Amino acid sequence: MSTPVLPLLGRGLAAGGAAGLAAGLFSLLLAEPLMDRAIRLEEARSHEHADAGAAAVQHHEELFTRSTQHFGLVVTSVVFGLALGVLFAIAYALVHRRDPDVSPWPRALLFSGAAFLAISLLPALRYPANPPGVGDSSTVSDRQGLWLAAVVIGVLGMFLVWQVYVRLADRSVPVRQVAAAVTGVAVLAVLFALPGNPDEVPVAATLLWDFRVLSIASHAVLWAVFGVVFGALGLRAFSRAAAPAGAVPVS
Amino acid sequence: MSLHSAQHPSTTAAQDATTRTRDWLIASAAAIVAIIALYAMFFDHGTLISATGDYLHEFAHDGRHLFGAPCH
Repeated sequence: MSTPVLPLLGRGLAAGGAAGLAAGLFSLLLAEPLMDRAIRLEEARSHEHADAGAAAVQHHEELFTRSTQHFGLVVTSVVFGLALGVLFAIAYALVHRRDPDVSPWPRALLFSGAAFLAISLLPALRYPANPPGVGDSSTVSDRQGLWLAAVVIGVLGMFLVWQVYVRLADRSVPVRQVAAAVTGVAVLAVLFALPGNPDEVPVAATLLWDFRVLSIASHAVLWAVFGVVFGALGLRAFSRAAAPAGAVPVS
Repeated sequence: MSLHSAQHPSTTAAQDATTRTRDWLIASAAAIVAIIALYAMFFDHGTLISATGDYLHEFAHDGRHLFGAPCH
């Protein structure tokens, strides 16, 4: 009999593939028109600069056509989903290692919600997504470090809040909840103590807002589909294992 | 698992330990692949596979922007 981690890994990959595809198609439909518009505006801006005699036209050589990059968005999204699925499955297996297949549906939804908060929403609040045309290549490694720090703070913060809640199990409910909430606020304070994004954003406010909303919506679509598929597959495995009365669960 | 080993305690205890180790090794390998994939898509700037250009970066360009990864 195998440990529960491999079936969970399979569920994570299936849910991640489906979730990545859903988020990819969602953003292909809704976010790509915005990105195309942002790129046209960027090109117009750099032409203006060139006409004005500015020293460097920042825009680089294009390696791929826009339609290849549209396809690349969907591929990236699917690979993103698969990679998250693997990491999610391992974290899920570790957290639930004592009873991995009990109540898979509410757990999958709760865990996906927590992952959305930690990996997607919190980093996006600190460092909101920017459309193409925003971003200075000389600051990119700083910004990558900050973004990574925000994701790490999100994940560790979620872990910390959960641990506070679990370890105060013998206290009263208000004490546990207030302690968990205070921990959450402290995590937010650390997150917002990170230095801000140094780049200027030369994009119209409405375009920027729409893009950022769609960015968060794509993350939300990804995690929603992920939770539903992961939970449904868990439920199926659970009921199959339970169906032959007295049989050893083969999961 | 506990149900199983209760039925055959002597034979399965060692087997359980080996399969557990094997399964967690597979899981760790999968995690490493996942992290490399995330790095390649969201962090790489032409260091991984390209000698001539930022192929990965440009292919994943829209995905980077959309999911909030820092871009040039």
